[in-house]
Amino acid sequence: MGEAQKTVARETLIGKRIPKMDAPEKASGRTRYLHDIDLPGQLHAKILRSTQVHALIKSIDTGAAKRLPGVHAVITAADVPWQRPIGVAKDHLPLKTGRVRSLRDEVAAVAADSVEIAAAALALIRVEYEPLPPLTDPVEALQPGAPLIHPEPHGGDGGPQLKPGGPVAYTGKPDNVAMTFEYAQGDVAQGERESDAVVEDVFRLHYVTHCCMGVSGVIAEFDASGNLLLHSNTQVPFLHKREFAEMLGIDPGRVRIIQPPIGGGFGSKLDIYPFEPIAIFLARATGRPVKLVYTREEEFEASPTRQPVLLKLRSGCTRDGALTFRAVETLHDNGAYTSWGATTPFVMMQTVSSLYRVPHCKYRTRAVYTNNPYAGSFRGYGNLQATFAVEAHMDRLADAIGMDPLEFRLKNAQQPGEVTPQGMHFGTCGFKECLSTAAARSAYQRKRLEHASRQGDASPLKRGVGIASMLHVGGGAKIYPSDGCGTILKIDDFAHVTLITGASEIGQGSETVLAQLVCEELGLPLSSVTVVNNDTDITPWDVGVHASRTTFIAGNSAIGAAKKAKDKILAAAAAKSGRASGDLQLSGGFVVTPEGEKLFELGKFLRSLHFSDKADLVMTTFYYEPPSHHQDREFKGDVSAAYAWASQVAEVEVDTRTGIVKLLSITAAHDVGRVLNRLGIEGQIEGGVVMGQGYALTENLIVEGGAVKNPSFRDYKLVTAPEIPEMDISFIETMDGEGPQGAKGVGEAPAICVAAAVANAIHNATGVRITSLPFTPERVYRALRGKLEAPVWNVPA
Amino acid sequence: MSGIERYAAPRTLEEAAELLSAGGATVFAGGTDVMPQANAGRLRFQKTLLNIGRIAELRGIGESNGVVRIGALTTITELLESPLVRGRFRALWQSCDHFASDQIRNAATLGGNLCNASPAGDTLVPLLVLDAQVVLAGKPNGTLATRRLPLAGFLTGPGRTLRAAHELLTAVEIALPPAGFDSEYFKFGTRPALDIAAISIGLGAVREGRVLRDVRVAFGAVAPTPVRAPRVEAALEGRIADDAAIEAALEAAADEIHPISDIRASDWYRREMVRNMLQRMLCDVREG
Repeated sequence: MGEAQKTVARETLIGKRIPKMDAPEKASGRTRYLHDIDLPGQLHAKILRSTQVHALIKSIDTGAAKRLPGVHAVITAADVPWQRPIGVAKDHLPLKTGRVRSLRDEVAAVAADSVEIAAAALALIRVEYEPLPPLTDPVEALQPGAPLIHPEPHGGDGGPQLKPGGPVAYTGKPDNVAMTFEYAQGDVAQGERESDAVVEDVFRLHYVTHCCMGVSGVIAEFDASGNLLLHSNTQVPFLHKREFAEMLGIDPGRVRIIQPPIGGGFGSKLDIYPFEPIAIFLARATGRPVKLVYTREEEFEASPTRQPVLLKLRSGCTRDGALTFRAVETLHDNGAYTSWGATTPFVMMQTVSSLYRVPHCKYRTRAVYTNNPYAGSFRGYGNLQATFAVEAHMDRLADAIGMDPLEFRLKNAQQPGEVTPQGMHFGTCGFKECLSTAAARSAYQRKRLEHASRQGDASPLKRGVGIASMLHVGGGAKIYPSDGCGTILKIDDFAHVTLITGASEIGQGSETVLAQLVCEELGLPLSSVTVVNNDTDITPWDVGVHASRTTFIAGNSAIGAAKKAKDKILAAAAAKSGRASGDLQLSGGFVVTPEGEKLFELGKFLRSLHFSDKADLVMTTFYYEPPSHHQDREFKGDVSAAYAWASQVAEVEVDTRTGIVKLLSITAAHDVGRVLNRLGIEGQIEGGVVMGQGYALTENLIVEGGAVKNPSFRDYKLVTAPEIPEMDISFIETMDGEGPQGAKGVGEAPAICVAAAVANAIHNATGVRITSLPFTPERVYRALRGKLEAPVWNVPA
Repeated sequence: MSGIERYAAPRTLEEAAELLSAGGATVFAGGTDVMPQANAGRLRFQKTLLNIGRIAELRGIGESNGVVRIGALTTITELLESPLVRGRFRALWQSCDHFASDQIRNAATLGGNLCNASPAGDTLVPLLVLDAQVVLAGKPNGTLATRRLPLAGFLTGPGRTLRAAHELLTAVEIALPPAGFDSEYFKFGTRPALDIAAISIGLGAVREGRVLRDVRVAFGAVAPTPVRAPRVEAALEGRIADDAAIEAALEAAADEIHPISDIRASDWYRREMVRNMLQRMLCDVREG
């Protein structure tokens, strides 16, 4: 954009519809993803996975594979005796020794001149297994005498021993309980005594997976000095830098991570998975760059899933509609190793305790080892599961006391200023506005009565409406020692801004919104900003893309750096013009007076600072740490600097002859604090709703006997274009005091309550309550015919 | 890596038949079934990859003496765009309209869909209703010989047909149905597009007043091959589609199908859907 346009005075950018900065590159096919990067001398890696659900490895013969021309390295655990366990509980060795615990287990890996040669080499590796009894039912995992998944320390079970005095190994588990979470507030027994209505149900939440267009992948390379360079799709480069260094026993300063543009994350790239260390091992073994990219089938079979959950919920209220208590117990299938899925109770218990005001609460989760796939983090982080149960009970309790479900919700909804028993402080809270806006715009109350009255009509097509709401962190989440983000900002001689941020872009539009916030401070058009955000040797620290935090945390950080730059420029301009700096502003590429008089053209003024006796450049740094708190040992604390709210009304049509549920419309009202980029936030909400729709209606990763049965887009049903509902989206702008320009995080929110709203809508349409997902035609049809087995809680205490 | 040693792309049926006679060839037309099956390890390439896509005589849709010949290489898109198919073989046209995606329809061929012999194959059910014949050509003894088989006999099981290894399916022939004959294809999947049938139903008949004549019914995805349903046909032949006739047809259908449970649907659900959807189609017939 030329000087002339740059000097045109602009109004605010906040709330405008601004196309994403990376859209032209992506739309024209120019974006170079990891798949498109090939380094000189690069080798291609493939992983040999277990053919057994649960077995002892008796022997591995890699001789023939090693002899295949074009093969540079074939490795097994025996070649990396110094490898350390990875993951959330450090229970996961990248290359397996002694025992395989699932079909995704990595047994060996090959680096070769081509992917085809690597695949051929895998076929030549002979592994002898001694099968063990498989454990694929989490309920069984808790039974006395159940096969143990991690009975022995890793490395000490017949495989190569870890070096004496070397890295710590996983010590093993005498039972199959990987993790336990317990939370309580008040006295549930008292709550039950005070209740006039009590309901209890068991819910079963299924496996789904992220389906990123960009599959998992990495390129690992060591330089001549032994420094590690990773081209990685990770969502958490700074945390992983440290973890890779620990794994290799090198200084974290010698690990550099570059993130090429990432084709979607949604939480799937939040943990280290074995393929990354394996690529590093191969790079070390060969002295060459090693590229490892999953096939789509591998992505379905070996990448993390959303956490499957069996959940028992008991809730009560008084006859005048006050919630009295809620008791939750869940069984999380942890799979063979522990990734983030096991920790979803952090979020689930927040919804249980604090979405509505409820005095007495009890929550318990056990995550148990099985030989199934393990779950990772996934947009919403347990909240879809918890909200599905809680919102079903809001309808059921309202029915039990004969109260309108909207009125019942409004009566128990949180309000601004509330501090919940779990310690969450709701500074701004637009929950009631969300409820009433979504209900009014969808004519929820009128339609609910109309549709219910037509349940018995002759027509096979039934309509229904359902409402559900959600609470989620909207101002970061203090899980790590810091929840902060750093920014470096420089303005060059031509008033062009380079914004160097720790925040990663994974397609969510963070570059655009951060540039927008900086431009708003500096009075510059968006074309004046370049965002640098993908190289740990350049960018300042950030905790990663998760918890809907980037706009809030990185946004505040960017504003902080921009403000410092502005202060510096205005102070110099004041000195030069003899005015008070408080009188001056930056606008339209000029330093201006309050009356709008243009004192200095910004580029020219910056050059005058630079090329002077006291030569100086405008470069600033800022680190933003949100004013939130870690939870204490009882899981209490104000973990986020702001909280996001939303209510959604779903209208469905159920074909009772087939069980097909058509999602006709979603009326959504979201407390987003403030709309920054209207186009971006609409896209986030539309995309999130469709993801929630897939969870509710079509997506189902079928896992039987430890095996994924539908590892393809033919059989794993994503929502297709004709199924996408009409959407009516309202923004409740509560102007959060801590948020950047008043905004809160919104990344996860739109996906969270769709399934819960659809469940309530199906009930309104048919009178049938289904407590297991997804609502595929056969499941719904079975339920309508009374032939669906409801989930049962047969979990040992 | 793939085991392919030779690639051949003949331009005449003679040459192709010659190559097939030599044995050890994988026939490749649109590739929309061959490639995914090879990638999934369910199909092993033979030594020769025989691309038949350049054989002009396997193309085209034409009619002579009341018989419509559809070349084996005719793509699903070409079927969709054919006025003849749309005008006279409505069920076949509908099956093409519900066939996978645009990209697949542009590549997939009718011959390939038949030779793949999926129990859920989309064009198979309407072609059964249309009493289609398949034409097979081969050169077993040095001279090109052709034979014709009714489609119903040609299909022998999932992925299995009576095509001999040395034969090529060259065309499908359909006698033009009697005046007034109309047909309908119903595909039941779990979503409106890009789906494989959980069950499918083909229905054809001539309506004389309210009476149904020349009734033909076929089902897909409820048996090892798509099947004609003679007892359902008998229950409807010469009758008015009233409640009694419909109920008799539904009962006959329950006896004639043998669905299995797989990841797409359970056998119970398939039975229920055959019943409900056949009922819906017959009610539509009754209501004109």
